[in-house]
Amino acid sequence: MAIASLSDVEFGEDLPAFTPDTSLETVKTFASLVGWGGARFSDHEAAKKEGLPGAMVPGILSQGYLVSMIHNWAPEAEIRAIDTIFRAPVIADEEHKITGVVTDINEDEHLVEIDITVTNAKGETRVFGTATVKI
Amino acid sequence: MDQDIETLREKYLNQDFDEKTHEVKAEVTAEYARLCGETAARFLDVNDPDFQAPPTFIASLSGRRALPSDFPKFGIGMDAGKGVECFLPIRPGSTIAGRTHLHDIYTKTGRSGRMIFTVSRIEFYDDKGNHLANSDSRIVIREKS
Repeated sequence: MAIASLSDVEFGEDLPAFTPDTSLETVKTFASLVGWGGARFSDHEAAKKEGLPGAMVPGILSQGYLVSMIHNWAPEAEIRAIDTIFRAPVIADEEHKITGVVTDINEDEHLVEIDITVTNAKGETRVFGTATVKI
Repeated sequence: MDQDIETLREKYLNQDFDEKTHEVKAEVTAEYARLCGETAARFLDVNDPDFQAPPTFIASLSGRRALPSDFPKFGIGMDAGKGVECFLPIRPGSTIAGRTHLHDIYTKTGRSGRMIFTVSRIEFYDDKGNHLANSDSRIVIREKS
């Protein structure tokens, strides 16, 4: 159920998991769009030569996935703040899952705090943080 | 706090060292939103009456430099994270100004030695001087031993 008002939000609830498009094609297009033309975002073999496990998803794209998950749950939510820690690379063409859990509700200001995480198929946390949204 | 870091904080924190203007293009923000997985018309449809850049779009806008020109070189920096604060929507078709300052400098010490964290903050303003958003870039530098 999409969240329409603060009364729909429950403390501790899990947001519906979101599967991002981490295909190399999407990652390449995004990196080019923002002017990050490095091979580490567009070519698995070139990234491996740089010591990475494969081509990386830019951190700001992971941040965008996290916000999209929140809008998928609460379409009219206004993002007030999002803070993300890049713990380990998110690798293109690998399956990842975006999750969130409501950790605080401020009824006076209509603000909701959400812990947010990007994990890979092994369940390893790659990116985590918090978001504050107005609903 | 280490004395050298305290000295850096006194010298550099909250002093603007860069300003750059950015043209916010509708086709770029809409594509940015689509690639992130947004589905709402206000981010994707240029004809939507509330058309705006997705909230984290500003994280893709950088200044001409991330640190003051005379900031000491401790080692190679790595991207440790990003933060965004949104105050007003960013409207495509507008030109916004980004002013950069160092917002924080701190350290953590682990088994491999001291790591220095810097947080560069870009404050974005529209042409009327309205403060639209902040974008923080956290860089970690493993100190050369």
